[in-house]
Amino acid sequence: MSEPQGFLALVLHTHLPFVRHPEHADFLEERWLFEAITETYLPLVERFERLANDGVPFRITMSFTPTLLAMLADPVLQARYIRHLDKLIELSAKEIDRTRWLPPFHRLALFYHHRFTAARQRYVDTYRQDLIRPFRQLAERGCLEPIASCATHGFLPLMDVVPSAARAQIRIGVEAFEHAFGRRPIGFWLPECGYHPGHDRYLKEMGVRYFLTDAHGVLFGSPRPKYGVYAPAICPSGVAAFGRDLESSKSVWSAEEGYPGDSEYREFYRDIGFDLEYDYVRPYLNGDGTRLNTGIKYYRITGKTNDKQPYDPDRALEKASEHAGNFMFNRQRQIEFLRAAMNRAPIIISPYDSELFGHWWFEGPEWLELLIRKVHFDQQQFSLITPSEYFQRYPTNQVLEPSMSSWGNGGYNDVWLNGANDWIYRHLHHMAEQMTQAAKAHAQPDPLTRRALNQMGRELCLAQSSDWAFILKTQTHTGYAYRRLHDHMARFTRLDDSLRQRRIDEGWLSELESKDNLFPFLDYRVYAEGS
Amino acid sequence: MPPVQRRSVVRKPARGPSVRASHAKGARAEPSKPLAGKGRGSAPSRSVVRKPARGPTVRARKASSRHAATRPTRLPKSPASVTAPSAVAPGIAIGPGAPSVSSWSAASPGPGDQAWNESQFSIPAGYGEDRIVLLVKDPWWLYAYWEVQPSTERAARGQLLPQDIPGLQSVLRIYDVTGIDFPAQPAHRSFDIGLSGLATNWYIQTNAPGREFIVELGLLTAGGRFLLLVRSNRVMAPWFGPSDIIDENWLTTDEDYWKLFGPAAGIGVGSSPSAWAKLAPQHLFSPGWSSGSLWAPNRPAAIKGFWCRVNTDLIIHGATEPRSTVVVQGQSVAVRKDGSFSLRLALPEGTQAVTIDVTSPDGRSSRTVTPVITLAWTGALSPDGAKPNPQRSDMPRPQDLTPGSLP
Repeated sequence: MSEPQGFLALVLHTHLPFVRHPEHADFLEERWLFEAITETYLPLVERFERLANDGVPFRITMSFTPTLLAMLADPVLQARYIRHLDKLIELSAKEIDRTRWLPPFHRLALFYHHRFTAARQRYVDTYRQDLIRPFRQLAERGCLEPIASCATHGFLPLMDVVPSAARAQIRIGVEAFEHAFGRRPIGFWLPECGYHPGHDRYLKEMGVRYFLTDAHGVLFGSPRPKYGVYAPAICPSGVAAFGRDLESSKSVWSAEEGYPGDSEYREFYRDIGFDLEYDYVRPYLNGDGTRLNTGIKYYRITGKTNDKQPYDPDRALEKASEHAGNFMFNRQRQIEFLRAAMNRAPIIISPYDSELFGHWWFEGPEWLELLIRKVHFDQQQFSLITPSEYFQRYPTNQVLEPSMSSWGNGGYNDVWLNGANDWIYRHLHHMAEQMTQAAKAHAQPDPLTRRALNQMGRELCLAQSSDWAFILKTQTHTGYAYRRLHDHMARFTRLDDSLRQRRIDEGWLSELESKDNLFPFLDYRVYAEGS
Repeated sequence: MPPVQRRSVVRKPARGPSVRASHAKGARAEPSKPLAGKGRGSAPSRSVVRKPARGPTVRARKASSRHAATRPTRLPKSPASVTAPSAVAPGIAIGPGAPSVSSWSAASPGPGDQAWNESQFSIPAGYGEDRIVLLVKDPWWLYAYWEVQPSTERAARGQLLPQDIPGLQSVLRIYDVTGIDFPAQPAHRSFDIGLSGLATNWYIQTNAPGREFIVELGLLTAGGRFLLLVRSNRVMAPWFGPSDIIDENWLTTDEDYWKLFGPAAGIGVGSSPSAWAKLAPQHLFSPGWSSGSLWAPNRPAAIKGFWCRVNTDLIIHGATEPRSTVVVQGQSVAVRKDGSFSLRLALPEGTQAVTIDVTSPDGRSSRTVTPVITLAWTGALSPDGAKPNPQRSDMPRPQDLTPGSLP
């Protein structure tokens, strides 16, 4: 094969906030994880494994946030996921009976029943409830480049006033990655692509080679980037920034122009949890009986109408294939253009949320697999690559300071700093400072004090999740986001007071440790170092 | 590049009458635009902010109401710890547009700890500090929050002469300190924003991408004397647009830069500075193709007009001797331990003959009944005449399908 004229780096950012409530038998927001496993993580793993087994060489980059890794490894949530799947299997079996006289729906009921049964079989028998392992194995096979992210998806540009907190988010994130993947991360996903000049130094300290920014992070960097976003920018610290390509992003992300809005694809907003008779679906709803998405959806997008037509998986698959071909064709043209404009092979960075594939865009995993196959078999103009491999081909790159940026609406900090959520920073910054002080004040703590300090670090991190600010802004699940902020602040404050008063309630601390049980390795001294 | 712009100040909405300084003119300056449509100051968000602090704050405001017009915000000094049981329970503030979806029940208090109840914790309004923190919102806007203790303000007032009191105002003074060791050296320029007594945070329009800022909160006398209360950290607003600095080792012409800019920014190849000027900044980098797809997908535009759905299910249910077999239209139905059985079937338009065969456990006795059900619809559920339970003739019949044959 001749030397490719350019490269495409598909980057999937895989994140969910830490939601684990053992104190409740049944918890609505835990379904975020369950839905993501069934609809995104299992389908992606299955397709990547199939590609690898078929000998299709491919490279894909995936970030995994420490909160998600902690949940995937948690026995309580693993058991609850199986229970969740069993209910879905039961419901889909009832649907096979119920739809007997409606062939299009009957076919879909069989489709879902098969899907859920297969998911259970893979999750329980093949992966033994450990979904991190297959990703690690794909990494070992050289197909997947896993990269790290911040401890709890803290949005760093708004944390810069307490540098020790921003630094700790990165350090704990790297450590969590090492525990899960048994190696140091080469790359790092800054939550929400939120870059603040100078934070690259913290990445450098941890041996990270690159991170990702939105397009303008590099385009508006200084000095002016010669190759735009189509080559890495080396920060003053020596860490590289890869800027997102919006042209390729648009075709997948955009609600209007993007592929996922095609009329043949599955309609997300029609679910039997809302459509069917209440008493029939009640056993599959949560404790409070509010209707919810079960994951069984019978309609296709159809068009801008309420009169939705039944979903046809075969036709949707054909469409996904067509769209994969279109995406590949557009990259070929783009690379042709870029290659002529640059005197070297460009790298196109296309980052997406993993959960977009499967959960939101049901056919996304098929599209991805078809794209990977087509890129390998149907053309030679470009090939897939990971950012770190691009370095090996082009070790010399331009030094510049990227601009502050994020991939949120507006391109800066607006999404996480506005009238709906600005009040949280007063508290988050205060807590971060208290944490730093407490860490510095306790150089040689006794074991109980050490535990309290470590737990304070966990509570601080959990409060810092960008998800809460995001949810407050979008006005869905706001009650839950508010409650989480409140509870982590409460727990943190009480731990801090206990330390000052030298009176730690061990029973209560143990309870907290078992409730907010992520990052067992966390060492509070991370807040005392540096700065 | 836009010229350095005069700064304008738009007062935070929902805080009372608007106070405006000059409006900025220039390509990037649309003073009200960045505020509009972003839900700032909306009622639900306010309730979220204020609710936890309601009890103590109200008392504090009453105490200082005589000076409300001239004082900076007084934050109640509330202990950052366990609040008294009488404190307002924080509850969960939910906007009208946000249905309660969480399954929280009453928080369970920790074992062995009757005194501390997590749900009783109230997020403090302040922390008893003198502090102002400056954050960057975007290249054109900053955000500051602060708290000042009464003692600090008293100390400042102690420096005043009697003639200073009339017209005394609390102000935010915004300094452009780009490349300057402030306050050792004077700032390039500054401007003031007059505050009402209750504000504890402010959005500040600077319209100066690429500049560095420090903010001071203080008291301003009618005679122009400024008494500093607190000074903020330094921030730098990000530069917006291509850098003017070009590295000679990585020379690039304007033409080359813009050639690569178009696709990167998703506005197509062959873009030019003029195309860019037309787009920036409202349309560029703001499509929101980013996180949150799992729990907050962009809902499609609501379909206008009234709508309804009607579906029909048929329930067949009965009972027989335990361990009998029941077969409906050739497919067996589970019989419960007590001999009862039921089956729910979605009922399409037309006539269905439902043959039900029941056979005793020993196989010697059996019964067959065939209810015949006819469903006919009149009317339509939508103006285009859509019927319930849509079917497409090109779909395979269920008997053609087995789970294995599906993708």
